[in-house]
Amino acid sequence: MNTRDLVLIALFAAIVVVLGLIPPITLGFIPVPITAQSMGVMLAGCILGAKRGAFAFLLFLLLVAIGLPVLSGGRGGLAVFAGPSGGFILGWVVATFVTGLIAQRFVREGQPEVRQFVGFFLASVIGGIIVLYAIGMPWVSAVTGAPLLTVATGSLAFLPGDLLKAAIATLAARAVFAGYPLLPVRA
Amino acid sequence: MLTSLHIEGNSWLHRLPVRAKLLALVALSILLFLSGSLLVQLTAFVISGGLYLSAGLSWREALKRVGFVFFTIFFLAAVNLFLLPLSEVAVLTLRLMALVLFAAAVTATTTIGAFMDEITVLLTPFERLGWVRAADVSLALGLVLRFVPDIFSRYQAIREAHRARGLPVRPLTIIGPLIILTLKDADTIAAAIDARGFRRQ
Repeated sequence: MNTRDLVLIALFAAIVVVLGLIPPITLGFIPVPITAQSMGVMLAGCILGAKRGAFAFLLFLLLVAIGLPVLSGGRGGLAVFAGPSGGFILGWVVATFVTGLIAQRFVREGQPEVRQFVGFFLASVIGGIIVLYAIGMPWVSAVTGAPLLTVATGSLAFLPGDLLKAAIATLAARAVFAGYPLLPVRA
Repeated sequence: MLTSLHIEGNSWLHRLPVRAKLLALVALSILLFLSGSLLVQLTAFVISGGLYLSAGLSWREALKRVGFVFFTIFFLAAVNLFLLPLSEVAVLTLRLMALVLFAAAVTATTTIGAFMDEITVLLTPFERLGWVRAADVSLALGLVLRFVPDIFSRYQAIREAHRARGLPVRPLTIIGPLIILTLKDADTIAAAIDARGFRRQ
């Protein structure tokens, strides 16, 4: 890993911290407020690719673990890993990696714009939603004892917001890809 | 902007080495997940709560730090009440609250420096394998702490630019420019690091 990759990883982790400081938006038709930070997984994967994106999130989790209040709402410390949503937080690293793998596989420079949008959206949905929930929901079920089906049903409330995040992340990732492409340079 | 959750103090937990605290946290989670006894969970909850409150936090701050996680725990416990027997819900809820309180107590009584020293030790085997360098991890961590205020002021500048043009402040139109402007600095920062020979390459 060269110094530039190291710096990109650190800068992206810092961007994820700043996304947590942006006030969450509430939309009438979606039950839960949308925090910009939760888009970080999709953005990191689509912009930095699998390896650097996953490292950026590992670094971010390190900040959480050593007691910096970097999660949105000023949360942090080891307590968040011990709580019921610990699986979602640890799952961010894997989710970013998968998002990055798919984005690297399907998005190339010189493709028609629509194909790039589709590639980033697929990567965001599969990595940032499906993989993340596949890790987070069994964790909630295991630590709280609630049946997996109940947890899954409850999680449906987050789905519209997550799809909207995937759409925003797709547009933002495509804008970065057009303005300052980093994905093709594999780390 | 990034103030650590560590609280100055001289409690028993403050004086204990980090490694002992982390091992105790791991041991406690294994013990509590293996045990189904209400008495064990209740004892752990009382001890963890006592340790957390003895760390030197004000009541308000102590509640604020674990409030969000507790809210999730209570919500899921309320759901569980319809599905599981009461004694089982009590065990599950007390176990999670005990672990969260103990973890919060470790965080409150450990400095970032102490954590970093421990992480350097934990990374040694990976360093031998040539996977990662502990010095790189510290450098990356330092870079994050250095650049968060810069990136936040850049976010504010982009927000002001939106307002000046009468545009609504939306995540979509902010995230793109914020990321491009920030990542474009990577080459300059990398050159500055290499010029100083920090990574001995």
